[in-house]
Amino acid sequence: MSQKTTYIPEPELVQGNHTFGSITSLVADIVETPAPRWWYIVFAISSLLLGLLLAMLAYLIWKGTGVWGLQNPVGWGWAIVNFVWWVGIGHAGTLISAILFLFRQGWRTAINRFAEAMTIFAVMCAGIFPAVHVGRIWVIYWVFPLPNQMQMWPNFNSPLLWDVFAVSTYFTVSLLFWYVGLVPDLATLRDRVKSKFGKLIYGTFALGWTGGNRQWQHYEKSYLILAGLATPLVLSVHTIVSFDFAVSIIPGWHTTIFPPYFVAGAVFSGFAMVMTLMLITRKIYGLEDIMTINHIEKMNIIILVTGNMVGFAYIMEFFIAWYSGFEYEKFAFVNRAFGPYAWAYWIMFLCNVISPQFFWSKKMRTSITASFILSIVVNIGMWFERFVITVTSLAQDYIPASWGYYSPTWVDVLTYVGTFGLFFSHFLLFLRFLPMVAIAEVKMVMPQADPHYYDEDGNELNQANDSK
Amino acid sequence: MSKKKQNTYWRSLNELAKNKEYQQFVEREFPEGASELKEGYSRRNFLQIMGASIALAGFAACRKPVKKIVPFTNMPEYMVPGQQVFYATSAPNNGYVTGLLVETNSGRPTKIEGNPYHPASKGATNIQHQAATLNLYDPDRGRFIRKHGERSTWNDFVSTLQAELSSEKRIAILAEPNSSPTINRFKRQILSNHPNAKWVTYSAFGEENQLLGSQIAFGRKLRVSPVVENARIIISLDADFMGASSDNVRNIRGFADGRRIANTNDEINRLYVVESNYSLTGSNADHRLRIKTADIKPFLYALASRLSSNYPTLSPFSTYTNSFSAHEWVDTLAEEIISNGGHSLLMAGADHDAETHAVVAAINLAAGNVGNTVTYLEVPHIDSANQHTALSDLTEQMRSGEIDALIMLGTNPAFTAPSNLNFSEALQNVPLSVHLGDYYEETSKLSTWYVNRAHFLEYWGDGYDYTGIPSIIQPMILPLFNGKSEIEVLGLIATGSEVDAADEVKSTWRPLLGSNFETKWQQVLHDGLAKDLTFRSADVRLAGNFTRDITSTFDRVSVVGDNGLEVTIKPDPKLLDGSLANNAWLQELPDPMTKITWDNVALVSPNTAEQLGVSRRRFGQTDVNMVSISANGVQISVPVWVVPGHADGNITIYAGYGRDGIGKVADGVGQNIYTIRTTDTPLFISSASVSLLQQTYDIATVQDHHSMEGRPLVREASLTEYREDPRFAADMVYVPGKKDGAEHPVTLFKAQTFPEHQPQWGMTIDLATCIGCGVCTIACQSENNIPVIGKEEVRRGREMHWMRTDRYFSGDENGDAKVVHQPVTCMHCELAPCEQVCPVAATTHSDDGLNQMTYNRCIGTRYCANNCPFKVRRFNFFNYPKYFLTGGDDPEVVQMAMNPDVSIRFRGIMEKCTYCVQRISRGKIATKLETGNSIKPADGTVKTACQQACPANAITFGDLTDEQSIVSRTKKNDRNYVMLEELGIRPRTSYLAKIRNTNEKLA
Repeated sequence: MSQKTTYIPEPELVQGNHTFGSITSLVADIVETPAPRWWYIVFAISSLLLGLLLAMLAYLIWKGTGVWGLQNPVGWGWAIVNFVWWVGIGHAGTLISAILFLFRQGWRTAINRFAEAMTIFAVMCAGIFPAVHVGRIWVIYWVFPLPNQMQMWPNFNSPLLWDVFAVSTYFTVSLLFWYVGLVPDLATLRDRVKSKFGKLIYGTFALGWTGGNRQWQHYEKSYLILAGLATPLVLSVHTIVSFDFAVSIIPGWHTTIFPPYFVAGAVFSGFAMVMTLMLITRKIYGLEDIMTINHIEKMNIIILVTGNMVGFAYIMEFFIAWYSGFEYEKFAFVNRAFGPYAWAYWIMFLCNVISPQFFWSKKMRTSITASFILSIVVNIGMWFERFVITVTSLAQDYIPASWGYYSPTWVDVLTYVGTFGLFFSHFLLFLRFLPMVAIAEVKMVMPQADPHYYDEDGNELNQANDSK
Repeated sequence: MSKKKQNTYWRSLNELAKNKEYQQFVEREFPEGASELKEGYSRRNFLQIMGASIALAGFAACRKPVKKIVPFTNMPEYMVPGQQVFYATSAPNNGYVTGLLVETNSGRPTKIEGNPYHPASKGATNIQHQAATLNLYDPDRGRFIRKHGERSTWNDFVSTLQAELSSEKRIAILAEPNSSPTINRFKRQILSNHPNAKWVTYSAFGEENQLLGSQIAFGRKLRVSPVVENARIIISLDADFMGASSDNVRNIRGFADGRRIANTNDEINRLYVVESNYSLTGSNADHRLRIKTADIKPFLYALASRLSSNYPTLSPFSTYTNSFSAHEWVDTLAEEIISNGGHSLLMAGADHDAETHAVVAAINLAAGNVGNTVTYLEVPHIDSANQHTALSDLTEQMRSGEIDALIMLGTNPAFTAPSNLNFSEALQNVPLSVHLGDYYEETSKLSTWYVNRAHFLEYWGDGYDYTGIPSIIQPMILPLFNGKSEIEVLGLIATGSEVDAADEVKSTWRPLLGSNFETKWQQVLHDGLAKDLTFRSADVRLAGNFTRDITSTFDRVSVVGDNGLEVTIKPDPKLLDGSLANNAWLQELPDPMTKITWDNVALVSPNTAEQLGVSRRRFGQTDVNMVSISANGVQISVPVWVVPGHADGNITIYAGYGRDGIGKVADGVGQNIYTIRTTDTPLFISSASVSLLQQTYDIATVQDHHSMEGRPLVREASLTEYREDPRFAADMVYVPGKKDGAEHPVTLFKAQTFPEHQPQWGMTIDLATCIGCGVCTIACQSENNIPVIGKEEVRRGREMHWMRTDRYFSGDENGDAKVVHQPVTCMHCELAPCEQVCPVAATTHSDDGLNQMTYNRCIGTRYCANNCPFKVRRFNFFNYPKYFLTGGDDPEVVQMAMNPDVSIRFRGIMEKCTYCVQRISRGKIATKLETGNSIKPADGTVKTACQQACPANAITFGDLTDEQSIVSRTKKNDRNYVMLEELGIRPRTSYLAKIRNTNEKLA
């Protein structure tokens, strides 16, 4: 069989004929120049929403959990839905930084910095809910294994306790990972900013980075080790979040498919959120050369893959419910699709399973408008997925006499809205004061960072022409 | 134990100490701070007001109040702090008393149980008895005597009455039915002292029609006393004899005793119910026929006519026919009555007319039931005159100014009297009117004098039970608000001077007990009753005029059928005539059939609802359509509630709601329907114009879904099916991993069924005898200090009851739907799913097999409640006890109703049934004290509150390690099954399957 093959080179990761210096200015100038007017407006709005969140939490703690719409069969409502949703979103960052790093996916460098920032802020939003949803927040520290005179330990059998460890570990490691990656760039900023105060702050956090050879060696080692540590956490945190449901005996929760299905869903929603944020920032800050259509397409492929995994899980749940022969589980799933919460189920199905199918088309994958719309649709769908799992299973379980229909109150809704205030006010501060692209890492994937002037056959390459 | 000898009753320790602060406190109507609150709040903003008063309480706390404790110098006898003392007494209700045993803690009554010596209660109670402690501690009760609404004193009242009620005055006394021999002694005295005096007995839902019926049938007024336990066939014609009816505790026990099944050889009774609305009794029927209320009488006539060929005494009916004559039910019932000669029992609803009761009496007599399953009792104190007409006449006389003074005792005619009498208007023409009542209520506000009545736990009195066993009412506590009893008011009128109720009761009883009085008296006080005395059962035969009286009605009695829409008015199963409307426990107790709390509704069948254009309620929907009902010239608006199995063409509404200005709880709850009730239409309005309104109304119900969805939760079979397959219930579900003969399926968990500890507690609930009345719920509420949360919170689905009764409809929703009841409470699973998921180990297992809830450790994640398959855990979403116990004007009063053995739960905490762990602990401590080493109480000494209150005796509880304990033996019953056994969680509570005694011919 004779077939003529041609080598199609990977598109360049950084486009626009940039030099190291122009990349540095492209990113660092954003921090160094005064913030544009829109930034102040959006930041004001986010801060207001953050204030709203704090007000709602104060009201909740003052009055009691009853200000939410919770009731007898449905002990977990929007709070837990929001928790799982935000934790899910928080998956993309570490996945991009750690797993893609280990797999040597160079394109991650364009997005890893702000994906990690997003992760941290999303986990902060998520972390609020398990804390405030309890009836007596003033004794929440009892979930930690603190030595005490009664030898009273928490119940290590409880998935909720595993959650405490999983989420806090994930947050800590993500934060460290993010910070370690930031160090060289902080040093860059330290060296560039004019104000004394700026120098002091950036200098402090740059930890005396000089860019020396040994420092880079240590940096690379520690980054690799942290990536290695973070990788299992990416998988474990949502696995353990799913245990909250899977370990129970409630039909619709008691499902072994949950861990992989939750992780896939989390990656799905995390990438969608990164996509949403990226499409806005690259436009506003003119970072199209770093975050290219090629990046968008790659992310859309991941969205398509994880979307189909989630869709497979949805259908497999039905099969297993039927195959198990357990009438309560059969009912739970049929009821999801055709019961009183069918509207939520079909929103979920439409958004998470049908909508990503558009990405089979290259045209859609590379369309900015389509990517933007679908990324939002996916996140709506993933919120509903958590709603469907949490609420429909509880609302109608074993004893029909105890069934109840859950609806949120205005406090539920405004608390959720308020978390966007927390998220965006932090995210805007990040955009304003930290380099949103990993400058050093992007440089590493530029052709200049790999100065081989001969190809595999030993022919001289015209570097200037190739690296446009 | 008279008051003079021993002054051991007091309102609080403060009063005993007679300190100054307390004196001031008593003088001042409300505690400082609280009285600054404005009047005029409705129950709807109850929680806001509660919140405000909490804020005020906060200010008051800026200065710490000084509390003085004064020790006893002489300890009152039997008074051990922390040790409960039980006293026998009895509760009066609508003309009879029920024997009770009251638990007192440090001198305050906290819990009511039935008197086990008393044949009417046998240790059990009904929901009203259980709720009575809350009535006692109701801060909204009348607190002082009023003259024209202004505060007055007892001395003023005494002198007014002494001055005004001279012997020639035309005095009328309008009284509730009352069996008290002392009151009846005063009654005779007053009627002889005051030649112009008259006495009218009035009750909105009394037994007058039954008495008049026996007058038609037997020539004199006789009380109908069913002996349900002797009946093999029970036929109820709209008689809710286990629900809102006289002597329901005895009736339920009788019915349940006739339905106990130990093995396949046992025979059980069969209950036929013909009725319009789906009553509690109807829900327990083996066969139920739904017809309009108006058709009950024609149905009965058709039955009498069918029986006339067998029973010569019914021959007057031989000429009567109507469209029911060919009905299969008439044939079937007739056959049953004939083939069970002397062991059938026919009953008709108390509010059906006298002729209906006369025919029922005639059939019972003809079938030989009298003396077997029903007795007709001669009740000496019952007035021979027709009290319906007496009330009408009295109102006329009042209107025309022929009454100088009207004394109203307990009754509330301005609210309940037939609306066409215009009682309130007539009352204005009476120069001196006195109302003795629990609340400053509708009638009190129109009377010259209002005297606040003492609660039956506060006064000395006496009475006869339904069958004539005399009992004493002895006070447990001094009147909290200085209330007066009927005896004190009547004694004043009769003797012209103040009387001591205790002395008066004693002097009434002196001739009753005969020689050796003091000893016998002490025995009566101790036992709560004089055992060997009863009413004489009459030797009855048909009155001479019976044939004439009945045949003359034949023209009038015809089947209504599908024509028109009738409105039936019935007493509320919880609030009765509305006198208990300010009791929050009763308001929040779900109606046994609709599971609605805090409201009355227009009950209709699905077909009627469709005709009216009522939209179908979606799952989770709380707002329902309202209809406007115009009848007897009055228009009312009522929310509509659809009940499968309700008779088509009938609207039934419970009375007793819609009260105004009596208290925080009652005000504004539900709709007043006495306005459409007249003397001609006391039970039903045969045709009313009904139209759908645009507006909707929020209903708080605790059960949203009414089908069991084919799940094997309540397992039932007919008697025949049970005999063919006695273990049908246990075999109904495949339990994975359960080997033949094994008690439990295999498990991956390391589980010891019985750890090395005795006792191990367990429970069974017999669904064959449980009738679903809900007394367990309220007994549990009283025992375990469960807070009341209000309509809005119930509507949100946050009911706090630890024990609930699930009610499922089965069969044709638009046709003859059947009903099952299932009490559900914590199952105390051996492998409890709740325990595994609590992050802080707040719910754990005790050595004796209890699933414990450690309130102090709970942080309120609600994970346990989510993971409970039975959904029995209850969460304090708000600080409910704070609203319930520290809100209002005088929180200390309602706090006294709380059980000191059970802690009050703070907000954010999960709670649930504990198997009454405080009672278990008492039992264990007592056993240890007696034996020195054992903590294994003898079987039957530890009773849970639900078990103790249950009149059907459907609940057993005890030690499972004791092979001979009742609960162990009950668990060996064929019918024993475990709900959701297939989950492998090993519940300690199991059920005994329901058995219906179906008649193949009607099946």
